[in-house]
Amino acid sequence: MMVDNLLEVNGLTIDYELSGKSFRALDAISFNLERGCVLGVAGESGCGKSTLGLSVIGLLPGKAKIRKGEILFEGRNLVEMKDDQMNREIRGRKISMIFQSPQTALNPVFKIETQMVDVLRNMARYQGENVKNDNVHCRERAIDLLRETGIADPAERISNYPFEFSGGMKQRVMIAMALSSKTSLLIADEPTTSLDVTIGAQIIVLLKELSIKHNTSILYICHDLGILSEIADHIMIMYGGRIFERGKTLDVLGAPRHPYTAALLESLPGRQVRGKHLLSIPGHVPSLDNLPPGCSFHSRCRFAEEICRRKVPPLVEASDRHWSACVLVERRGRQKWG
Amino acid sequence: MGLDLIEIKNLKVHFFLGKGLLSKLFGKGLSIVHAVDGVNLSIQKGRTFGLVGESGCGKSTLGQAIFRLVESIGGEVLFKGQDVLKMSHKGVRNFREKAQIIFQDQFGCLNPRMTAGQIIAEPLRIYRSLKNDDGDLHQKVSELLEAVNLTPEAALKFPSEFSGGEARRIGVARAIALKPDFIVADEPTSGLDISTAATILNLMQDLQERLDLTYLWISHNIDEVKYMSDDIAVMYLGRVLETGKTQDVFKNMAHPYARALFSAVPKVGAGQRENKILLKGEIPSPINLPSGCRFYSRCSYAEKKCRNEEPQMVDLGSGHYAACSLL
Repeated sequence: MMVDNLLEVNGLTIDYELSGKSFRALDAISFNLERGCVLGVAGESGCGKSTLGLSVIGLLPGKAKIRKGEILFEGRNLVEMKDDQMNREIRGRKISMIFQSPQTALNPVFKIETQMVDVLRNMARYQGENVKNDNVHCRERAIDLLRETGIADPAERISNYPFEFSGGMKQRVMIAMALSSKTSLLIADEPTTSLDVTIGAQIIVLLKELSIKHNTSILYICHDLGILSEIADHIMIMYGGRIFERGKTLDVLGAPRHPYTAALLESLPGRQVRGKHLLSIPGHVPSLDNLPPGCSFHSRCRFAEEICRRKVPPLVEASDRHWSACVLVERRGRQKWG
Repeated sequence: MGLDLIEIKNLKVHFFLGKGLLSKLFGKGLSIVHAVDGVNLSIQKGRTFGLVGESGCGKSTLGQAIFRLVESIGGEVLFKGQDVLKMSHKGVRNFREKAQIIFQDQFGCLNPRMTAGQIIAEPLRIYRSLKNDDGDLHQKVSELLEAVNLTPEAALKFPSEFSGGEARRIGVARAIALKPDFIVADEPTSGLDISTAATILNLMQDLQERLDLTYLWISHNIDEVKYMSDDIAVMYLGRVLETGKTQDVFKNMAHPYARALFSAVPKVGAGQRENKILLKGEIPSPINLPSGCRFYSRCSYAEKKCRNEEPQMVDLGSGHYAACSLL
C-alpha cells in the first residue's frame, strides 16, 4: 500500500535559549501525517506539544532554535525555507493554524468583513491573474466561507465586529479564514478548550466534516484524550519533549503500550466509579530545565528499573504500526498501571 | 434520608446593567441579567451535591450568593434552618466560620504578597484570635499543610513559587482551617493537568471522609461531577432543569438539554459516535430571556406550548425532577 505522506518530521530537535541557558523543548521528534488524516497530539502542559505545532508553521519565538532534524511538507524541507518564501507559498496558504482563544486572534477594532476580505485579497494576489481579487468578489467568497462553517445569516453577520460574536462563532470565523486558501494542513491548538461542551462538540464535528470534504489533514493538539478519541485517526502521546507512544487512536487508547499512557487513562474520573480513588501518578510533570536522565518518566513510573535511569528508551514498533518508547514494552506487552 | 444542611428556596440574583451616567442621560432603560432566576435545591449533610452547566448558566453566582458575596434579590438560603440572607453582620460572620468556599482561580484567590503560611493562618487569627508569634498557630498551619499533602516548609513560600496544583491545595488548606461543615468547591480542577486533577479529587474525598464535610461541587466537567457527587443538578440560564440522585439522573435522563449536554462530553474509547446529540445554536443571552421554556430555541422536541408556558418541575420519583412540559 502506498502511503501519501503530507507531512514528515524527522529527528526534530528544538532548544529554548533563555538567559544564557539552553533547554531542550523537543527531542528527536519523528512522525508522519497522511493526507486527509487527523493526527492528535496529547500530553500534559509543558510537554512540547504547542512548540511542535508552531515549528511546523514556522512561528516559533525567537528564543527557540532548531538544532537538528527536518520538517518535510509535500517533500520540501520547511526548516531550510526562508521566511519570505514561507509567507509566499506555505504559511496561510497551504498550512493554516487556529488557536485556543479566538478572541485574541481577531482584531477587535475591525469588522469581520474587513479582516476576512483582507486575507482573501492577499491570497488571491498569489493565485494568478485570472483570480478576481476585488472587494465585491472577496466579500462574496467570505460569506460563502462563513456559511460553510455554520454561521447563520452570514450576509448580515459579516458586517459585525468580533465582540458581537460569541466564542464559538469567533472560532468558526477563525476556521473560515484558515480555509480561505486551499489549505492542505490545518494545525489546531486546543481549538475547543475555551468553549462550552455543547459548542465544542459542534466545532469538533465541523472540523471533521471539513477535513473529509476538502481532504485536509489536521494536526490536532489537545490535552483532552476524550476529544482526541473522537476526532483523531492517529494519536501521539508526548512527555518532556519526547514522543512516548504513537499509533492508531483505538490501539493507543484501547491497549496502551507505555505505562505513562496507561496511567493517564486510569486517572480520568469518567472511567472510575464513585467512592473509588482515582489513580494519581506520584510526583510532578518535570520542567524542561530539570529533566531527569534516562527515561524522563522513570522517577514517577512504578515499573522503573535500573536501565530506565541510564538509557533514553528509543521509540520502537511494539506491534503493527504502534510505537512505544519504553524499554519494558517487549516484556510487558499491553500496559496497565494498577 | 439525611438532614438538610443547606436548603435554597427560590433564590434569585439579578444584575442590573446600564446604571451608568450615559444611559441615564439618554434615558435608556435598565437591562437585567437573570443570573440566578428561582433556584430550589437542598443539600444533605455529609453528601456531595454536584452543580453542572455551561458558562453563564449561573452556577458560580449561585455559589457566591450562598455566602452573600453577591446580594440576592429574593429567596432564602437556609443553613441549619437559619436564613443566611436575613442574618445580621454578626450572624454572617458566624455562618462563614462554618461554611467556606474554594475559588475557581487558584492563584487569584491567594494574596501574592503573603506567604502560604500567612494565608492559611489568616482565618485562625481572625476567628480563633491566635497571634502570629503563637507556637500553637505554627503547629496548626503545619498540620493543615500536611492534611493537603504539602510539606511544612511550604509555609514560607509565596504563591508564585507554587505550581497550579499546589496553589489549589493551599486554597483547600485555608478552607478547612476552621473545621467547617460545608464547602463550596467552584471548579476545583479547572486549569489543572489530568494527573494533578486526579490528586485534588482524591484529596477532597479523603478530607470529606475525615472531617465529615458536605460539598457543593460546581463544575462544567460532567465526568468529574458524575464521579464525585451523590446528587446532581443541571443548570441552564439561571434555572435548574433537572435534579436528582446522580445515579438516577444518569440512568434515566429526562430533560432534552441534560441529555444533549451529557452526550456532548467527549469520551475516551467511544470513537466517532453517530448517536451524538448536537444542539443547534448558542446559549441565549440571560438579558433577553425567551418567554416560555428557556431551552425552547435550541430544543429539537419543542412544541408550541413550550414557547408560551414556563415548564414546571415534574416529579419522576425518588427525588428526581425535571422541568419540561413534554414529560
